[in-house]
Amino acid sequence: MLISKFLHIALALTLVGSVSKAVDFQREVLPLLSDRCFQCHGPDENARQADLRLDVRGEAIDYGAIVPHQPESSTLVERILADDDSVMPPRTAKKQLSPAEREILRQWVAEGAKYEKHWAFMPPQKRMPPEVENKDWPAGPIDRFVLAKLEGQGLTPNNEADRYTLIRRLYLDLTGLPPSAEEVEAFAADKSAGAYERLVDRLLASPHFGERMALEWLDAVRYADTNGYSIDGGRHMWLWRDWVINAFNQNWPYDQFLVEQLAGDLLENPTDAQLIATGMQRNNMVTHEGGTIPEENLTNYNADRVKTLGEAVMGLTLGCAQCHDHKYDPITQRDYYRLFAFFNTLSDKGLDGSGGVNPRPFFEAQTVLQTGEEPVLRETIAHLEQQLANPSEADMAKWEDRQREELDRRAVGLVILPTRALKISTPNSGSGFGIDNERVIHITYAPDIAAYDVLLQLPSIDEPITGIRVRMLPDDELDGALGHGKLEAGDTQKSLLLTALSMSADAAPGEVVNLHRLIPARQVTASSWREGYRAENVLDPRRQNGWSPKLESSAPQHLTYTFQSPIDAGQTPYLTVQLNYGKGGRRIAARTEIDVITGNDDGSPLPAEMISIVRTPVNQRSEQQQQALADYYAQHASATQSLRTALANARERLGVVTGKFSTMIMDQAEEPRTTYVLARGDYSQPGKVVTPGTPEVLPAMDEAAPSNRLGLAQWLVAPDHPLTARVEVNRVWKQLFGAGLVRTPADFGVQGAYPTHPELLDWLAVDFVEHGWDVKRLVRMIVTSSTYRQSAAAPAELLRRDPLNELLARGPRFRLPAEFVRDSALKTSGLLVDRLGGPSVNPYTPGDPWREVSHYGSTYATAQAFVQDHGEKLYRRSLYTYWKRTVPPPNMAAFDAPNRETCVVNRGATNTPLQALVLLNDTQFVEASRAFAERIYAHDSTDESRLRWATMEMLSRPPTDAELGILMAALSRERESYASDRPAAEKLLDVGESARDESIPVEEHAAWTQIATLLLNLSEAITRN
Amino acid sequence: MINDPIYDQALNTTRRAFLGHSARGVGAVALGTMLAADEASANSAVADLVPHFAPQAKRVVCLFQAGGLSHVDLFDYKPTLSKFHGQEIPPSVKGDQRLTGMTSGQSAYPVTRPISSGQFCGEHRTWISNLLPHTQQIADKIAIVKSMYTEAINHDPAITFVNTGNQQPGYPSMGAWASYGLGSENRNLPTFITMTSQGSGKYPGQPIYSRLWGSGFLPSTHQGVGLRPGANPVLYLDNPPGVSRGQRRELLDDLGQLNHLAAERMADAETLARIDAYEMAFRMQMSVPELMDLSGESPSTLESYGPDALRPGSYAANCLLARRLLERDVRFVQLFHRGWDQHIALSQQLPRQCQDIDQPTAALVNDLEQRGLLDDTLVLFATEFGRTVFTQGKFEAPAAGRDHHGRCFTIWMAGGGVRAGMEYGSTDDFCYNIVENPVHLRDMHATLLHCLGLDFERFTYRFRGLDVGLTGVEQAHVVKGILA
Repeated sequence: MLISKFLHIALALTLVGSVSKAVDFQREVLPLLSDRCFQCHGPDENARQADLRLDVRGEAIDYGAIVPHQPESSTLVERILADDDSVMPPRTAKKQLSPAEREILRQWVAEGAKYEKHWAFMPPQKRMPPEVENKDWPAGPIDRFVLAKLEGQGLTPNNEADRYTLIRRLYLDLTGLPPSAEEVEAFAADKSAGAYERLVDRLLASPHFGERMALEWLDAVRYADTNGYSIDGGRHMWLWRDWVINAFNQNWPYDQFLVEQLAGDLLENPTDAQLIATGMQRNNMVTHEGGTIPEENLTNYNADRVKTLGEAVMGLTLGCAQCHDHKYDPITQRDYYRLFAFFNTLSDKGLDGSGGVNPRPFFEAQTVLQTGEEPVLRETIAHLEQQLANPSEADMAKWEDRQREELDRRAVGLVILPTRALKISTPNSGSGFGIDNERVIHITYAPDIAAYDVLLQLPSIDEPITGIRVRMLPDDELDGALGHGKLEAGDTQKSLLLTALSMSADAAPGEVVNLHRLIPARQVTASSWREGYRAENVLDPRRQNGWSPKLESSAPQHLTYTFQSPIDAGQTPYLTVQLNYGKGGRRIAARTEIDVITGNDDGSPLPAEMISIVRTPVNQRSEQQQQALADYYAQHASATQSLRTALANARERLGVVTGKFSTMIMDQAEEPRTTYVLARGDYSQPGKVVTPGTPEVLPAMDEAAPSNRLGLAQWLVAPDHPLTARVEVNRVWKQLFGAGLVRTPADFGVQGAYPTHPELLDWLAVDFVEHGWDVKRLVRMIVTSSTYRQSAAAPAELLRRDPLNELLARGPRFRLPAEFVRDSALKTSGLLVDRLGGPSVNPYTPGDPWREVSHYGSTYATAQAFVQDHGEKLYRRSLYTYWKRTVPPPNMAAFDAPNRETCVVNRGATNTPLQALVLLNDTQFVEASRAFAERIYAHDSTDESRLRWATMEMLSRPPTDAELGILMAALSRERESYASDRPAAEKLLDVGESARDESIPVEEHAAWTQIATLLLNLSEAITRN
Repeated sequence: MINDPIYDQALNTTRRAFLGHSARGVGAVALGTMLAADEASANSAVADLVPHFAPQAKRVVCLFQAGGLSHVDLFDYKPTLSKFHGQEIPPSVKGDQRLTGMTSGQSAYPVTRPISSGQFCGEHRTWISNLLPHTQQIADKIAIVKSMYTEAINHDPAITFVNTGNQQPGYPSMGAWASYGLGSENRNLPTFITMTSQGSGKYPGQPIYSRLWGSGFLPSTHQGVGLRPGANPVLYLDNPPGVSRGQRRELLDDLGQLNHLAAERMADAETLARIDAYEMAFRMQMSVPELMDLSGESPSTLESYGPDALRPGSYAANCLLARRLLERDVRFVQLFHRGWDQHIALSQQLPRQCQDIDQPTAALVNDLEQRGLLDDTLVLFATEFGRTVFTQGKFEAPAAGRDHHGRCFTIWMAGGGVRAGMEYGSTDDFCYNIVENPVHLRDMHATLLHCLGLDFERFTYRFRGLDVGLTGVEQAHVVKGILA
């Protein structure tokens, strides 16, 4: 046997002082065999070298690689210790064995080469919690496991965190929201026995518990509001998301939670709720990219389902066995495709989901959330309708005055000048469009959907250009019609429907509209419009409606777009206009000319009838006229916009809690697809046919169980399943401690991390199952432990010794997830609208990040252009923010929120400058500071007591004197600053759409807003201690 | 800050520093065993060992042509095509490989020759289309690879593959890997910056998505940061209205003090790191506007990038910004120019698309060279696949175009580490199949990493039990033939 000299020395060094303890196969040997040997000598038959496998003891012994108790006769030992080219792993291998690792393997063979099944593949055992010396500290079994380990290391647990920290920790962990100052003070003052436990129970009963617990599950099973892949159109899955929230709030047992999600449709007489639940495995991405091959897509969808089932539910990296046998875990490729087969029976389609219609199969149902809002909503709606129907006479009179002024200003200085039309382009046609005489945009063939970009040269004039006029001309070839398609089925004549209009001006000619320089509109008018097709509809890029002129007219019609601020033809002589006809039906204008105007538009957004009423003195109007004007005011005036928004939101919400909505579900196809083992995972290389089944290394499925998803689900939640309970217990532990007992939550396999506290993990898992998979009970047990209640502030020596807190000798500390950072700001500011569930919303986002990268203008798919919501939708909790997979909300992505394309079980918690920019400058957070400032100001009358309260509200603790000093100084500095610059104060207070309390002096409010910003940006404000 | 004892102590306790010190020391053996399965620690150890050898390139600019650039029309000249123009592609050439759903049902597959003539350029007489007259001028500075291939035939998997090394989502992009491996040499700007532009040829082009510059399973710190023209070049960069820079500075000083007090009380290193993050944010508020301000550029430089350079958000403007970023030692700059998906109206769309990019691309290479930056900057001009030699649609109709073609396509590289003025690999007479020196996407990735001093086989990250690298599980090769 050849052993290098170096190795002898190294071994000697390492062994000095080491106690000769038997090596632990699970903890020391198997990770080495797996990581360094299995790639070539493991479960994957096709990758196996020299016909040797080391993952099965009998085979390794038969081969002669291992002779138990005789390392000197074992070729394994000989080869790993060789100092010539026969050494294993080969010198070229990326992963080598260190001298100490070689010694472990040698010693293990010398000790008999005992194999054990990998721990995670054996059912968990509930052992008696160990005895400990310190009898006072443990509050229950969890603490005895933790303490025993600490005592073994000569360590003691950390002190209990103070009450301020504890209440904040509990609130954030159990609801994702911080406590109010009053709640903190009450808890800090409550010294009665059981105060902590009562708080825990109260929070477990909060409806926000379900919202908080849902977050990890939504990440794990990749919930989103769009289909993903390239076009990434909108889908509707919020009923499923709300089912999850409800399940946590109702404390659905985890086994039932899984069974209904994996196989609700296969239960006897499934309820709507059980069908909704099956959306879990429809959360995968779906493509409708033209040209893709349906079979390939379907393979990808099912592969994602298996991967997600593995990582989220089983803690196994099953995806590794798609192309070949698993390199490390005993999961064969056949095992993989048998799992795949369970899901290959749906009636889903390879290409599906365009136009905002859900990918099949789907059905319509009501939300499972019982919020009890209906009566209040009806009242709210009635009240808002009442307000709109009875406008304040003074406000309306003001509006009328302004209308008359606008009408008088019409056409003042108006000059209409032609442009030169230089170029036209459209993505999906090669012919049927063009420009006649540099003037007329001529569409001779109208596709079903199209957008045209037209490059124009502006007339070289010195006067500022105030807008453009788009003139639609009758086309003789269409019998004098303006457009190619009929708007409504009963129409006698063809017409046009301009669904969206956008434009940009540049110094150099640009053939396509420059999204970074879009010119906003001050006003859009038209020569005529059909009922419901007003000119300003073209400003909504979602193309929900559009402008269509009156049908009767065969004369030219025009639409005038007045810029928010005029442009200078000298600086930007080129204008690019996009005419979007995006709704189908070929309603495309046949002949269009585009002019520019200087001076004022001669049109008005008011219909002729309203113009005449406005022009009639009030005392000469008929009652009907007055009523018609009031109706118009209610429906169209900017003064009533916020009421209309509130009413629309309330009506929509009423619909949400009473109506039925589409949601994607699982089903059984009438003719289920056959599943094959796919060579190299390639859909086009089918091999042997397989039937549904579970991996052989795990306990077998009950023979009486159905060979479908229901059987799979029942198998997963069988009490002796080695993985399901462990994985769930670990997920909950991770939520509360920032890291799991298994640090690789998606990988309990051989390559995964060995549990930091294996006996504790097992104890929790068995106890969980014994108590009916009761999630709230599990959470309660963990958060009432002494382990959980430890302070996170630890002595330097301990931090050095256990930087990753694997011993749990201190409380955990981590940055809040993105959603709770935003939710905390909303709650503290008082802006939070804490309704549960419903369709996702689009809060503040800078610009339109969707259109910059989407297929806008060339697809029926929805979610291609971003339009911000208003009113209460700006202030919903962040798990209701619309999640577009290809462009996740930027202020959430900055804080490590995943894009939800695939299963995520371990979000990062980075610390970056972009996060600072979000908290300091994002409208959402600036507005939150402004609103928080209002609350601070209103709370008390002295600066000091205000600051004390503000600190308590934001950080859940009183300020120290030093902190108070800094805050006081900052306050007086900001006061001075704004006192000398009132316009700056006004600008700051203008951020955000919520109304400001006008009774607070502007300078004072602005100064306090800065203080609020300061508090909101403290590291502590976004950290859970 | 550096001499702050709490800071030192905190740093010592962070995972990276912990392993950085002890992994090379005596305790390494025991520690290695204890933590072997811990992904985080495995990863810090990897990152401490790079670069693996002396890098030829310090930074990268990737000029990504999204949608599938037609190698047939622009680079891969085959005289045979004129002869076969209008004739069915020989079955022996077409073979039985799969086509996309857009052409698989066609009754005929007539060959279409390039829509424009070209020139043999530079010392090596490299053919480049006359649609790219400025690129013709830099033929001696670039290495053209004509034998690229990919298995993907549709946009989403293909563009994901070329940018992240995998057809399925979830993997880090090229720039994220570079950021992870090499970090930043600029304290005032992000390490990886992306810019997008719309093509005039086809608007809208195929969508692009954040995963193409995402960090996948790497920490999100490594994701590309978008730079856009206009008032807010980096999202949320500007102070809110009514808050001056001086005011912000004072507020950040207060914030720093308060955070310091908290860090002391709580013995928390993260809080100290957050103070640094806020300071960098503050510096970015200065450095980004300065970056975007082109007033210092000479008229001749501006002119060299073409008239579009004056149009913010255009590819040309982005090329100029790319040079300014590279000058500031930003590690990885990536442009995405959309609109190369010429299924339809090839003869109308392609010339416009070429005009968008030709002059600015050449100008960037020349500009880098003139400033001495080309030697250690790798320029990668890439796309997700090529296009079919046969017609999609009706032969010679105005609407005729070309479908996706993954079996061969063309990219080029220039600058740090790459031989100037050469062609590599070749295809058959129909630019349909590779006949010499095939280069897979993963070989391109391996080569890119190699130029940066990273050994693609050793440069991995432990994720889900596997050591995953940019090149994936299949064997990759550095394309030695194009290295300087």
